[in-house]
Amino acid sequence: MSDWIKKIYIGLVYTLLYFPIFVLMLYSFNQAQFSLQWHGFSTHWYHELFQDADLWLAFTHSLFLGTCASFIASFAGLVICIHLFLHSHRPNRTLQSTLLMLIILPDLVLGIALLIFFNLTSIPLGFFSLLIAHITFCLPFAIVAINSRIHNLDINLYYSALDLGATRSRAITHVLLPLLWPAVMSAFLLGFTLSFDDVIISYFVAGPGYNILPLTIYSLVRKGVTPELNALCSITFFLSMLLVVAAHRLSRKTSS
Amino acid sequence: MMFKRLFIFLLACLVSAQLFAEKTLNLYIWGGEIPKALIQTFEHETGIKVNFSTYDSNETLYAKLKATPKPMYDVVLPSAYFVERLKKQKLLTSLDPNRLPNLKNLDPTFTDNNYDPQNQYSVPLIWGITGIFYNQAWVKNIPTHWGDLWNPLLRHQLMLLDDPREVFGMALFKLGYNPNDSDPKHIEEAFKSLQELAPNIKLFVSEGIQSILIDGDAVLGSTWNADALKAYRENTDIRFVYPDDGFVMWIDCLAILKNAPHPDEAYAFINFMLKASSGASLALIEGHAITNQAGKKRLPEKIQNNPMTYPAPEVLKRGIIQRDLGEKTIELYNTYWQKLKFSL
Amino acid sequence: MKTKNLTLYAIYTWLFLFGFIPLCLVFVASFLSRDATHLMTLPFTLAHYKALFSPLLGHVMLRSLMMALITTLACLVIAYPFSYFMARSQHKSLLLLFIIIPFWTSSLVRTYALVAILKFNGILNTLLINMHLITTPLPLLYSNFAVLSGLTYTLFPFMVLPLFSNMEHFDFKLFEAAEDLGANRLTLFFRVFLPNTKRGIVSGSLLVFLPAMTLFYIPNVLGGARSILIGNLIQNQFLVEENWPAGAATSIFLTVLLLLLLLMYRKPRGVKS
Repeated sequence: MSDWIKKIYIGLVYTLLYFPIFVLMLYSFNQAQFSLQWHGFSTHWYHELFQDADLWLAFTHSLFLGTCASFIASFAGLVICIHLFLHSHRPNRTLQSTLLMLIILPDLVLGIALLIFFNLTSIPLGFFSLLIAHITFCLPFAIVAINSRIHNLDINLYYSALDLGATRSRAITHVLLPLLWPAVMSAFLLGFTLSFDDVIISYFVAGPGYNILPLTIYSLVRKGVTPELNALCSITFFLSMLLVVAAHRLSRKTSS
Repeated sequence: MMFKRLFIFLLACLVSAQLFAEKTLNLYIWGGEIPKALIQTFEHETGIKVNFSTYDSNETLYAKLKATPKPMYDVVLPSAYFVERLKKQKLLTSLDPNRLPNLKNLDPTFTDNNYDPQNQYSVPLIWGITGIFYNQAWVKNIPTHWGDLWNPLLRHQLMLLDDPREVFGMALFKLGYNPNDSDPKHIEEAFKSLQELAPNIKLFVSEGIQSILIDGDAVLGSTWNADALKAYRENTDIRFVYPDDGFVMWIDCLAILKNAPHPDEAYAFINFMLKASSGASLALIEGHAITNQAGKKRLPEKIQNNPMTYPAPEVLKRGIIQRDLGEKTIELYNTYWQKLKFSL
Repeated sequence: MKTKNLTLYAIYTWLFLFGFIPLCLVFVASFLSRDATHLMTLPFTLAHYKALFSPLLGHVMLRSLMMALITTLACLVIAYPFSYFMARSQHKSLLLLFIIIPFWTSSLVRTYALVAILKFNGILNTLLINMHLITTPLPLLYSNFAVLSGLTYTLFPFMVLPLFSNMEHFDFKLFEAAEDLGANRLTLFFRVFLPNTKRGIVSGSLLVFLPAMTLFYIPNVLGGARSILIGNLIQNQFLVEENWPAGAATSIFLTVLLLLLLLMYRKPRGVKS
């Protein structure tokens, strides 16, 4: 009996979790323009979506921004983690506290902090302000992701390589990096997702010349949107799902 | 190191992306007033790429402009009373009429005004009225005065515009005052009156009004006539009322910011918007009343005579154009507005 | 390696410049004033902090705390049995994957989906009417109920993940041992299981409580006039009121609240970092 309760409960929770997403996808086939009630089946909005240059531009902007920010953050995270792993025998307090602060601080506070900073330094709001902001919030996550993996490594592998005659850089690139590679990939994927979906921080530091997808979606949602947005959301949902499954497969492969 | 090469490559991409700049125009306008299709026509005709963002209130526009010392935008679409305010703050460039040959298409009633004499700094584009809407399927007592909204039976029913001037305007009309009144005592009275109205307020909104009206999430409240019209097109139960105790009229005007990054493209855009065909597009797609006389003539009779967009002259007499109130009064308004919103 | 050191210094400078300094700026700004031409100027003042405790804003603060608390409790009540079932299941990683998928998709988009569900003539109302449970639709949207639903829905995975990872490490053999010692079901739960999941409960609660107050887009999309939370207040102070010092003060208040909660979290567990 308790087995049934278990199954029903889990099933119910998943249904509630996925129901809104299903609704979203269903409505992308809705015929009406402004209303959110069902008016008939139509693939019209997918056609509109593929012709909507602005939305695609925002999409590619977000893609580019996410890739750059996450790449730079993952790279920087890797460098810091390797350095700390190999060189420091006591943890760097200020670094740790700044990173911790950045992770636990609500996005909202970081967003306004950067807005004030950009305003005082006269940095214009646009692609570079967004890039700076996104790198800043991706970096701590990248460091945490790579750090957790690096501490599971056996440091003797590195020293053995050195003993066997490898130079420092070869030891790092040929021994440490391959072992850390899955962690770097996860850090990259994590950073990319955080950046691609970020609304709060981008809301404060974005400029007019560089439209990004989450802010475009946000203004469309508040405007009372056409189901074209639903079509876009359905597509991004599938993409995210593919990314997650890929990341999952990746982590299972390498950990086995 | 592979990473180093990749890094340099990425940096090169970033830099080159910024270098391939083409002719651009940064537009910051009211949402739901200039249709995307029209902007795309402009892009095709002139080859100028348009970056446009929208706002849902003059106050948002103002805040954005004040927050950045160097202007990020070229053309903005403030309401007439904000044109006055921006003018006083020296944020607008004076317009050279020689660069705007299509100015001749404008209806002369709009060219001679007192918020921007001789349209030195702005070009009127569309105008409208704030009135009461109701859904006749749900509302049995048809409202005729602003005061009807204060009915205690209407608890949690009202949708009001998210705009301090509009909401205070309602209260000032109800009390028999002018919506452009800057007497602090009258404004305080209006505030107290709004506090009485507070239990009836369900939400404040300035964007996405149509879908709220069409789907019945709000059945009574204040809105702009064009939004009521757009909602009516999908739900014929929506009605719009020009209140008997008066209503405000507003005119949204195109203006060029001082030290705008792309002034030539800005003029090209304004001139394009003054074309008769542009005016007609505006009216047909977004349902607004246009200032473009030549454009209006191209509209079908049904639209030219639609009372929801172009009310009869006797009705228009009850309308008062919103004017700027000066920084001190605006401060007062803002204080009361915050008090009202946060006390709910 | 020279380049390594260079990169390292670059990273440290970055964190200092774009992490540490902006946060200091917020702190300083919270004590400044503003005037008609400048967003932030001298003289220094405590007025903004005082305003936070005034009846006007204190009302918003209390409401935010209440809503955050209710959201946290709702998430906890739903997630606790769920995580337990997940931890004891054979399909752990699959179940986990399906919790994570929505977490990775834009929460803004999922909030928007809730609008279609909670609307006056939306799916939920249509369902309830068709099941003859109500005769006229319920005004669910633009209310505190809608905001709570949205917050709970969005933050649910944040409660599940820490709870699950905590429960995963629980040695379920302890149940057998306790039963052998004569414990009944209630004792098993309250004296064996629950205390060992305290860490997960606290982590999950922390991960839900603060965002519940600062995710301003959820009250913006789902809430009515009565749903202004701290996040909306800050957004309002910065971008509508243009009162940057006041917004900075509210943000510092939020951060201090966060630090207090963290301190309470650390204390009972000793000095472990």
